[in-house]
Amino acid sequence: MISSKGVDFSKILKRYDISLQNDMTPEAAAKKMLPKDPIFKEIAECVMYKKFKEIGPVVTKALKEKNPLDIINDGLVAGMEVVAKLYADHVYYLPDIMMAAKTMEIGIALAEKQIPGGRVTKGTVVMHAAEGDPHDIGKNIAAVMTRSAGYTVIDMGRDVAVTDFIDEMKKTKPLFGSGTALMTTTMSAFPAEAKLMQEAGLTMPLMACGGAVNRDYANSFDLGIYSQKAPQTPLIAQKILDGYDWKKIRENWDSIVKGE
Amino acid sequence: MSVTRYTKMAYDCADDMVFGRCKHPISYGFGLKIGAGEVIPELKYAPRPGTEKDPAKLRKEYIDYISTDALNRAVTAGFPNVQLETEWVSQMNQEKLSAPVVAGQKEICEKYHEEYGINCGVRQTIPDQREADRGLRLGQDTLHSYPEKFFECCDIACENGADNLSVESLGGKEFADYAVTHGDIIAFLFGVGYLGSIDMEYIWQQMVDIAKRNRCVAGGDTDCSGANVAMFMAGGFLDNDVQRTFSAITRCIAAARTLVAWECGATGPDKDCGYEGVICKAIGGKATSQEGKNCQCAHCDLQGNLTAQCCDLWSNESVEYHPEFGGTSVQCWLGSLGYECSLMNTALQTGQEKTLRDLYMMSDRTRGPEAYVLAYDHAYEIGKAIAANGNNLYLRSKAAAEKAIEILKNGYNTKELMLTKKQYDVLMDADKQISALPTEEDKFVEDCVKKFTGVVPNFNMKNYGL
Repeated sequence: MISSKGVDFSKILKRYDISLQNDMTPEAAAKKMLPKDPIFKEIAECVMYKKFKEIGPVVTKALKEKNPLDIINDGLVAGMEVVAKLYADHVYYLPDIMMAAKTMEIGIALAEKQIPGGRVTKGTVVMHAAEGDPHDIGKNIAAVMTRSAGYTVIDMGRDVAVTDFIDEMKKTKPLFGSGTALMTTTMSAFPAEAKLMQEAGLTMPLMACGGAVNRDYANSFDLGIYSQKAPQTPLIAQKILDGYDWKKIRENWDSIVKGE
Repeated sequence: MSVTRYTKMAYDCADDMVFGRCKHPISYGFGLKIGAGEVIPELKYAPRPGTEKDPAKLRKEYIDYISTDALNRAVTAGFPNVQLETEWVSQMNQEKLSAPVVAGQKEICEKYHEEYGINCGVRQTIPDQREADRGLRLGQDTLHSYPEKFFECCDIACENGADNLSVESLGGKEFADYAVTHGDIIAFLFGVGYLGSIDMEYIWQQMVDIAKRNRCVAGGDTDCSGANVAMFMAGGFLDNDVQRTFSAITRCIAAARTLVAWECGATGPDKDCGYEGVICKAIGGKATSQEGKNCQCAHCDLQGNLTAQCCDLWSNESVEYHPEFGGTSVQCWLGSLGYECSLMNTALQTGQEKTLRDLYMMSDRTRGPEAYVLAYDHAYEIGKAIAANGNNLYLRSKAAAEKAIEILKNGYNTKELMLTKKQYDVLMDADKQISALPTEEDKFVEDCVKKFTGVVPNFNMKNYGL
């Protein structure tokens, strides 16, 4: 092997990940965000520290003193909001989100049982990976992040037939539908689905995402909107909830995904 | 077919490995000789959306546009060799769509070989559409019959003129998805290193049979759905989803899996997106296809130069067919590949191949943990760990992970490799978990079944014949 003696590697590459790393601890980052009430704080900390084995007993104990809806909103969801902040600040990473979300969902399932008629979420989203496409890891991550943001997600899985997706959209009439595709030849399912949605009188947006899809493609057919990364999906969902239609989402996309 | 495990290294030392030459070169197509002293560009492409709807349109896209454009550019720029790779779109599991494409590519390669003397051939990569929730083995998927269709597709490819039969198999994907998103290295080891290897053994014995029956070369595989997902999600310096120490370890485990194709009788070259190919080449001595800086059309990674260090084919990963200023996309990216190969071949002809290999490697060696473990000297050490445990699918995957961790820790401790605190923490956590594993395969499997049943979606031991 040739010698690297005397080589100045700073002239060859720069490790920006080293210089950009955030040394903040989760405790310090979350200090101001955790609930003050000790019961809610304990629940939120369970979510924040991903204690999925402990959340059950903690929520069960809390249900003896607190309203189940408050436990969800002021404890579990509050904890997940801390996690989202830690993720945005590069203190937490994807596995942290996944484990925290799992913890939150265990808690929600327990609390929900005590709410007559179940919990009302912000809205329902139907997700799927396109017909012929077996790749669904992106869709799964987006589903977790959307659920964590307070929506009900109907996850239809992967390789979902166009007709099955349309049937679900007709039945559920969700806030919006979402599909992922990793292949150029499977993403053509999305314009076909959008056309069938329109024929059925459905006007909600159809979010096209995944490795093969780009913004131009998602915007090339009526109803189509784009989400480049999973964390953008809840931001766009909020705007749809606020009354934005697919045209307005497209017009304001750059600012929406920045969280503005 | 029998399976012959690798328990020894093909190369006596890491320094013997170079690009363009391997211990077991292979010839196919119209004059192609892979690993016999030249690096050959391998061009991969995707048809435009909508062309898959009609057999005539799809044939026209692949033959009259993509293949013709590529071969024209190869002749125009004076490249002596080119390999095309058609990674079948999912709709090509219908014979009416796939057979005309395969046969047409064979014809056009023959035409260009006869007219211009260019050496060329086509790798046909069959889509593995099997889904863990419906079953990976024959008779299990009653809805799509994907396992059955997969083997039928192999037959169709070979019968219609494939030169090289390959796949990006999906065995263990349900675990890989879980492992990468949850940062669970044991799930990856069990799913990819153990179950994925068992699945590869199942499909590759049959693929080699089919290829032999049709006088076609059985090429190889890649852990695209596992280690590459980890690598893509670990991303670059602005990405924050998966730690790059984690993806580096998954890459080394993947090598123990990818090797299985060759153990079942595949002759290489393996698949371009298997960045673990350098480890496999060190063990098996067969040709490897790699990708890096000239696949920016598909993705950016942190080892763009380094992966050229020991390649035999040099690939662009994939590009959608579309116009660019310099021609069509396939022409532009073939130009990019071809000139890189020309540089490597000049180095080979002038006896400078080890110098160029080292320059490729050194420029990326410390760009990230994955590059560090794939540097050929480290890759060789990981290969040795796998071969030393070659007869046991579990132990060799575990050994690959242990050696990767050792190399990364040593790099960090000697201050050659920088790690962020999070990258270091994840490395140390993996070290702790791997160190605690049992040495007995049965115990490991028993523990994993207990741990992951009901946790990893779609986990079903029957998919692996267990």
